[in-house]
Amino acid sequence: MTRAICSISIFCLGASAWAQDAPTITVRKGDRVSLAVTPLGGPSGPAVTKVLQNDLDLSGWFQLVPDARGSYVVGGTAAGGSLQGRVTDSSGATILAKAYNGNDREVAHQFADDIVETITGNPGIATTKIAFVGTASGPKEIYFADYDGASARRLTSDRSISVAPSLGPGARNLAYTGYHEGYPDVYVIDVASGARQRVVKAPGTNSGAAISPDGGKMALTMSKDGNPEIYITGLRGGMARRLTRTRGVESSPTWSPNGSELIYSSDQGGSPQLYRMGAGGGGGSMLSTGFGYCTDPSWSPDGKKVAFTVRSGGGFSVAVMELGGGARIVAAGQNPVWGRNSRHLIYSSGSNLNLLDVPNGRSTTIVSGLGKVSEPTWSL
Amino acid sequence: MKLSHSLFCAIAASSLLLASCKTKDQFAGADGDFVDGMPLPERTDGAAYLGGGVNKGQFAPVQFGFDSVEVSGSEMGKVQAVADFMRSSKTDVIIAGFTDERGTEEYNRGLGERRALAVREKLVGLGLGGGRIQTVSFGEEMPVAPGGGEAAWAANRRAEIGVVR
Repeated sequence: MTRAICSISIFCLGASAWAQDAPTITVRKGDRVSLAVTPLGGPSGPAVTKVLQNDLDLSGWFQLVPDARGSYVVGGTAAGGSLQGRVTDSSGATILAKAYNGNDREVAHQFADDIVETITGNPGIATTKIAFVGTASGPKEIYFADYDGASARRLTSDRSISVAPSLGPGARNLAYTGYHEGYPDVYVIDVASGARQRVVKAPGTNSGAAISPDGGKMALTMSKDGNPEIYITGLRGGMARRLTRTRGVESSPTWSPNGSELIYSSDQGGSPQLYRMGAGGGGGSMLSTGFGYCTDPSWSPDGKKVAFTVRSGGGFSVAVMELGGGARIVAAGQNPVWGRNSRHLIYSSGSNLNLLDVPNGRSTTIVSGLGKVSEPTWSL
Repeated sequence: MKLSHSLFCAIAASSLLLASCKTKDQFAGADGDFVDGMPLPERTDGAAYLGGGVNKGQFAPVQFGFDSVEVSGSEMGKVQAVADFMRSSKTDVIIAGFTDERGTEEYNRGLGERRALAVREKLVGLGLGGGRIQTVSFGEEMPVAPGGGEAAWAANRRAEIGVVR
């Protein structure tokens, strides 16, 4: 009885705290840099301009304004296969002048990231890639796309159950759980060539592989020793090193930026909670999030935050916690994954994927119409 | 005096050494217990729950409560039927674990596996060899009852038993 009262009062305390707290990072309109994009010249100008404007808008850093009112002006020329891009500041001085090669989307994305980096000093997300599960062809298959959902293509034709994708650095490799040979095994696909290799084929269930930030290892759940636990293997499989040892379900490991630690979900205490441990093993310590059901953690590339799924009242929400601080709900949905700027999240909601600019709460649907879309992963 | 001092040092050093050996092998879970599962046997060539070589539907699936991996007393009759069959035959079984749709996908894969393992543990408790029992999880995939609602969810929270041909 007393315990029930305690947990109810903690919940109420937590709820009122959320109502009063401002977000930890607040970006007011005045914080955004005003930027004018002059329509690019050349035969590919209109197409490249459109992608560029969208990238700069989604980046969250800029207030796009008409020409001559911006603190910075972007211009250039684009002809099939190349872009000459230029950025000048309010005094007319050129702060960026560069040539890019590639198709219209590629050159626009590269230019956009350079603009973000030059003006704000932060990494851009426009050249990054995502993968996710979609059911457009019937069964669950793995899809690959630009960060904004464009150029989506199906990577697998397994006609079985293909799930839990994880992109490695630079989107060169993708690991996923495939049931097409009858069991849940982990496969790695070379994204450029499509070549695929089964790398983990142990007894029981093998799933939830997360490629390490340096691309050389994977953390995953394996049940071969009689319980679903966290193991580390090389990217190509090999000797699996066991890290956890509890009677519960350990799932969804996520790496710290330098690969020395993991956060994962474990229900050893009853309902699933987040735990943090060294990648050498040695037991995890629970993170106190204030929520009763926490899964799918994603560690931000700057090391400071973890995003995760929370279940409450029959629905799912995306929560963000500063490590060592408090957690707050940022969206309705699940399976959040950080972009390399540690500012944006992609998460699934209903049958869609959304891109969330966490500081200002702006959410944009980036993938829809591919059936039920879930389990996004985002390359660094 | 000198001799007993060195003896003391030797005893202290060796007990420290023994203590460190012990903690290196033993590992406390959150509840302080040393936890060691029963390793699963290698897969049988040509038999996969999602492929061929496995007879399904011979036994009633074991049902589970919401978010639970416990095999309740009322379900033990089904486990007993499997045990009786396994005692009289030489076949292996594959236990497939499933969940309802109400968790997140990857956690549900783990929960389904834990359910399959729970049935395996009961069978071992009834005297069957763990080496004859494989497990696999499908999480929230392949529900037997489509749609939502308590009845469908309850039907989907299950462990099915497949008999290897």
